[in-house]
Amino acid sequence: MNDDATLDDGKLQEVARRLGARAADRLDVERTAQAVVTRLRTEPRADIRVLGSIRPAWLRIAAALVMVVGAGVVALSVRVPLLTTPVPPATASGELSELSGDELRAVLEAVGQPGGEQQEVSPQDLSLEDLSAPQLRALLESLEG
Amino acid sequence: MTPAEPVAADPTDAALIAAWHAGDEPAAAQLVRRHARALARFLAGAGALAADVDDLVQETFIRAFRALGRFRGQCQFRTWLMTIGGNVLKDAHRRSRRARVVPLDDDVRATDGDPHERAVAGEAERRLAAGLEQLPRMQREVFLLRAQQGLEYEEIAAALGTTPGAARVHYHHAVKRLKEYVK
Repeated sequence: MNDDATLDDGKLQEVARRLGARAADRLDVERTAQAVVTRLRTEPRADIRVLGSIRPAWLRIAAALVMVVGAGVVALSVRVPLLTTPVPPATASGELSELSGDELRAVLEAVGQPGGEQQEVSPQDLSLEDLSAPQLRALLESLEG
Repeated sequence: MTPAEPVAADPTDAALIAAWHAGDEPAAAQLVRRHARALARFLAGAGALAADVDDLVQETFIRAFRALGRFRGQCQFRTWLMTIGGNVLKDAHRRSRRARVVPLDDDVRATDGDPHERAVAGEAERRLAAGLEQLPRMQREVFLLRAQQGLEYEEIAAALGTTPGAARVHYHHAVKRLKEYVK
C-alpha cells in the first residue's frame, strides 16, 4: 500500500505537520537548555531514586513470600520442641517414697481405681506418668513392704 | 570530571553525547537546542497541553540524559528522545488526569494568511488532535513519527521496539481512523 496514495490529497499529512508547530515556536529553547543543564548538575540522579522507590511487583511478592515462609519456619521451630521435648521425670517419685504407709494408702484411695490385675512394678523403673492405676497400686504396695 | 575535548562547530549527536559523557555541559545544552523544538511539536501533537510543553520537554531531556548509558544507537537520538517523551507524557497524564485539549484560540491568533483559511486550518488541526486522542498509543506515536516527523518505518520500528511491517500496519490503521475525523 502506498502511503502517499492513502493520503492522496495530502491533507492529513499536511495537518499533521502543522500540529504542535505553535507550541514549538513558543518554546524558549535557550532557557530550556540552561534549565536542563542546571537540573542535571543539581538534581540527584533519577535512576537512584527509582531504584529506591519503585520496586517491581514480583520483587514485592517474593519479599512477602519470604516473610511468610520465614515466619512459618520460626513458628514451627518454636512449637515442635514444645511438643517433642520429653517431660522432665517426675520428681514425685522422691516425694512418694517419703510418704508414710497411711499417706500412701490415702493417695491410692484418692486415685479411686479399682484393684485390677496385680502387677509387680519395681521402683527402679519408676516413671509415674507411665503407670496405670493398677501399676501405681502395685508400686505403693511394694513400697509398703 | 575530566575536561572534555572541544567538539567541532557542527558536531554529530554521537559526538555531543560522548562529550557530555566526558563532562562537557555545553554539549548537553547543544543537544537540547538541536532537538527541543521537534520534541515540543511531537509532545503537543501527542496531546500535551500547551502550558505543559515546556516542562515536558525539560523532563524528557532530563530522563534521556540520565538514561544515555542505555542508548545503543539503534535509532537516531531524536527518535529515541521522542519515545522517552511519549513515556513522560503518559506519566504526566496519569498524574494529572486532566483532559487533553488543543486550544482553538491558538489557531485563531495566527497572523499570517487569509482569516478564513486560518480558521479552516485550525479546525482541521483541532479535529486531528481529537482523533489522535482516540487512538491507541502505538498508533498515535507511529502516526506522529511518520506523518509529523517524516521518519522511515525502519527508524520508527527501531525506536518503538517493533518491526517495520508492524509499524506500517499501525500507521495505516491510524490514518484510516484519522481521516474520518479530519474530512
